[in-house]
Amino acid sequence: MSLYLVVPLLGIVALIQTTLMPHLAVRGVFPDLPVLMVVSWSLLRGSGEGVVWGFIAGVAVDLFSAAPFGAATLGLIAVGFGWGVGKAAAFRAHLALPLLATFLATVLYDLIFLLVVQVAGGAVVWLDSLFRTILPSAVLNALLTPPVLIGMRWLHLRLSHEEMEW
Amino acid sequence: MSRQRLERYLPVILILLAVIGFVLHRTGLLLPVEGLLIRVTVPVQEGASRVVAQFQQLRQTIRDLRDLRQRNEALEAENARLLLENIRLKEVETEASLCGDLLNFAQTRPSFDLQGAHVVGRVIGRDPSNLQRYITLDVGREAGIARNMPVVTGRGLVGRIIEVGDHWSRVLLITDVSSTVNALTQSTRASGLVQGQADGSLVMRNIPQGDTVSVGDTVFTSGLGGNFPRQILIGQITEVRRNDYELYQSATIWPTVDFDRLEMVLIVTDFQPIENQ
Repeated sequence: MSLYLVVPLLGIVALIQTTLMPHLAVRGVFPDLPVLMVVSWSLLRGSGEGVVWGFIAGVAVDLFSAAPFGAATLGLIAVGFGWGVGKAAAFRAHLALPLLATFLATVLYDLIFLLVVQVAGGAVVWLDSLFRTILPSAVLNALLTPPVLIGMRWLHLRLSHEEMEW
Repeated sequence: MSRQRLERYLPVILILLAVIGFVLHRTGLLLPVEGLLIRVTVPVQEGASRVVAQFQQLRQTIRDLRDLRQRNEALEAENARLLLENIRLKEVETEASLCGDLLNFAQTRPSFDLQGAHVVGRVIGRDPSNLQRYITLDVGREAGIARNMPVVTGRGLVGRIIEVGDHWSRVLLITDVSSTVNALTQSTRASGLVQGQADGSLVMRNIPQGDTVSVGDTVFTSGLGGNFPRQILIGQITEVRRNDYELYQSATIWPTVDFDRLEMVLIVTDFQPIENQ
């Protein structure tokens, strides 16, 4: 998939994340669309493309965020790389795996995010954040994995013959 | 570099780029680039926000028809108005008894603080992460906005400005974990610090053990520290935690501002925070 398509696509995703998603909050947490998309794409296309998607989505999120630059980028690169290693083989092994993958990816992403905030001198309440925000948000993201994955799978099948160009 | 080698080193290259971005951001060297990008993205964000707002309005209308929300809303508004009126009157009464000086009383009326110079800002974005609580406004330096200016709504304190661009500004909400506001209770004048929690709730800490704090009491900014004007409503106490072995007691506060439905806010521009002086 061409970068000319990936960059605007993930830019729009970041825009949706900052405008629409907060209105869809359930018990104080809202879905993390960039994480969902990067996880799904990495599972479908492997870590090579996953890491590029993670980087672009991360930069886009960082631009809209008040957090230190790099907090989202580093988290999403880790998710894109780590979750692409198993690729489709592991993903097809069991129906619950993508849900588990998203759950763990959200936890990893949020922990890296908080770590960068702390390194930059920001206030972080680790345990409270883990139990009150990160875990509920991971559950919500996991539940939303099927529809996002279906959409990404459609995109993947349409582009199955293409390799990412950079 | 061959494609295979590039793919092998790509994660390392991208991580390095992110780290370089982080360092440049910390040293302030990235500010011009960020400013330029934000300048480009803010109108887009504003447009998207308007579309979302219109969509929400439509959804709201449908909902209104379904459950006679209008009537309920009118009653709630009346209730809120009476509640605020009641709080204001109680505050006036307390002030009068504390000072006994009409002139001073007039100067310290909470409504007077907000009737000075202020700017109305529209909320055009929220932080994309669940872990931080910021909002982006569509007004900035050109409207006279500066760092640390307090942000309020008719219902109470929202936060303070932490970042300003020419046509945008970012507000750190009082519900963020890094936010601390000096506060006192209305009836007993017990003082403490109101801090944001990870789940977006508020807790008033460092209340001396000897002070009486009760459920239902309202909490205002105390003005101590000079970061916020005094007597701006923060919320109502819903729970008090007191242990004999601890130096201080704490209380959970239900904020009067609905942070999930913020659309318009006021930025108090005639207040000079200590940090700006």
